[in-house]
Amino acid sequence: MRAKTKCFWHIVPAAFALLLTTSPLSPQSNEDCLGCHEDKELKSEAGRSVFVDTVAFVSSSHGQAGISCVDCHADLGRVKEFPHSSPLKLVDCSGCHEASVREFKRSVHFASNQKPEGQPAVDCKDCHGTHEIKGAESFDSTIFPLNLPSTCEKCHLQKAKTEKGLEFIGQYNLSVHFRALEKSGLTMSANCSNCHGAHAIKRADDPEAPVARKNIIKTCGLCHVGIERNYLAGAHGKDYVKGIKDVPVCTDCHSEHNILAPQDLNSTVYATKVAEVCARCHDNVALSRQYGFLTSRLKTYNETFHGTAAKFGETRVANCASCHGFHDIRPASDPASSINPENLPRTCGQCHPGASRRFAEGQVHAMPGSDVVAKYRSSHVVKNIYIIVIGIIIAVMLIFILADFLRRILRKEIHD
Amino acid sequence: MTSPLLIRDDEIFLRMNLAERIQHWLLISTFLLLIVTGLPLFFYDFKLFKWLLPSGRAFYIRGIVHRTAAVVMIANLVWHLFYTILTKRGRNNLREMLPKAKDVRDAFELFWHNIGLTRFLYRRGIFTRFFRANPYWLFESSPRYGRYNFIEKFEYWALGWGSLVMIASGFFMWQVEISLRFFPLWVHDIFIIVHGYEAILAFLSVIVWHMYNVHLNPEVFPMSKVWLNGRITGKELRLLHPLEYEKIEAERRRALSEEAL
Repeated sequence: MRAKTKCFWHIVPAAFALLLTTSPLSPQSNEDCLGCHEDKELKSEAGRSVFVDTVAFVSSSHGQAGISCVDCHADLGRVKEFPHSSPLKLVDCSGCHEASVREFKRSVHFASNQKPEGQPAVDCKDCHGTHEIKGAESFDSTIFPLNLPSTCEKCHLQKAKTEKGLEFIGQYNLSVHFRALEKSGLTMSANCSNCHGAHAIKRADDPEAPVARKNIIKTCGLCHVGIERNYLAGAHGKDYVKGIKDVPVCTDCHSEHNILAPQDLNSTVYATKVAEVCARCHDNVALSRQYGFLTSRLKTYNETFHGTAAKFGETRVANCASCHGFHDIRPASDPASSINPENLPRTCGQCHPGASRRFAEGQVHAMPGSDVVAKYRSSHVVKNIYIIVIGIIIAVMLIFILADFLRRILRKEIHD
Repeated sequence: MTSPLLIRDDEIFLRMNLAERIQHWLLISTFLLLIVTGLPLFFYDFKLFKWLLPSGRAFYIRGIVHRTAAVVMIANLVWHLFYTILTKRGRNNLREMLPKAKDVRDAFELFWHNIGLTRFLYRRGIFTRFFRANPYWLFESSPRYGRYNFIEKFEYWALGWGSLVMIASGFFMWQVEISLRFFPLWVHDIFIIVHGYEAILAFLSVIVWHMYNVHLNPEVFPMSKVWLNGRITGKELRLLHPLEYEKIEAERRRALSEEAL
């Protein structure tokens, strides 16, 4: 029964087509069009090439599906005089791709920067191509994952400047995501549309954009599922769920387009650089007051051997993440925290084998004025005593020497 | 009877023998190495040190050099200790090096002699009677020193004390795990502070005190050569170490008279 109906619907258009080609009123067949448009030298009135690559069209998705020229160039269906006048109307894809076009009409590409006659700055063909159009699964499609970045960059490296400038988009080409596409051909690595969406692409400050602060955790979590889970379990994630805007999301630490592996020297979270990323908030006095955490974390870290060595590029010393963890950072009061006093021997023991409870009897970030156990700040007292003693000793020495120097000069003058 | 000339002005005396000079050279080189490889940790923001240690690898090597220099310096100190105890010359030096009440007095007298305030007042006719009755307070001449003056003694014992502090704190910084087996973290933090600030004190003292008193002062500028050849002349001995000069003179006179007998 079903097979019969299917067969029927194939025969009807074929019969129609047969009928129409013989009639003088029939629309042009592909052969009619290509008769002229096969010519590589063919130019429009405006001087633009109007050559159509037959081979490319036949092997395209549309060509394979038997869609004819006039199905898309509908305005030619009624033309009787040839050569026809140009330009033709912009092809309307919504006849078949209704949902995609509906999404596209809500996108920044459609809305922003419209051309005078109500046409979008970017339309379907700018990303998908024209006669040679192919689906995303085809290797030579403009939207095949490995090809998509260069498709977007056709505009975004040159003319289509976003708020953060042209370099910002080009930085993607340095990222670990791009490298995975380019070098290893991993199509599951994030390309433009994985993060930004495709037809419904929106500005990053649009709350509906997948890259908006509100949505970015979920967006990155599409691939990095385990990390999303860890993040949501940590202090940052818990505040993020509460809707606190100042809490860092993925991109605050890892940067946006130029995301690199932590082992990469230029990564924002590279062992010797991560402290500065953390300090952007954790040394910020205004934020510390608002959310009640301690500042001077970087300063006190730099004063330790760990921090000093890291400043000189030594990667084997502890950085923020070595002790505090990273995605699921927890406050010391949390029994599951790596810096909970109970867990410190194990945390410190990663580098200092046999670390005992003694490691917990003190404070790494102790600073004058912070409310820690008084004896934990004794080193500061010792330091101040030293500064005073050194000052006095050197001052006395200098006075002594000055007196001696003047006397010897005087005596020499008398002798001479 | 004319007393024979017992010490000629151009006679050569050995103030530092070869062993003492080698000890001093080792001390200088290890001290400088320790300073150069240690200061970057103290002044981690200085561009100079960033340039000196451009990578994590260089920083790592810095640590190795620092600890090697420390071991050599300690070995040198141990050698000096044995040298001081086991040789006659060493024991004699130590005896001369022991601080005495005279050293405090010498420091006081030298300072007021150099300042010359009381002589100035006396010439102006102020407190004349007091100064006539107590000419000591005029500090007319600078104090007379033995083999080692208070300046040298102060340095010697400061170096000894400083070495102890640096070795102890440095050892525990080197062996963090051992340190934290015996001490809580806050005590370990004190070791770190002490090591850094004691080093600054030592560095400044050497630059200011030793460099001026031994090398840069107008009388020997640009430097004393004793640390190189170990020698001083009879004249220098007479001027700089009069008490030692007189002691040697007395010994020779006694030997002469014994010979005459």
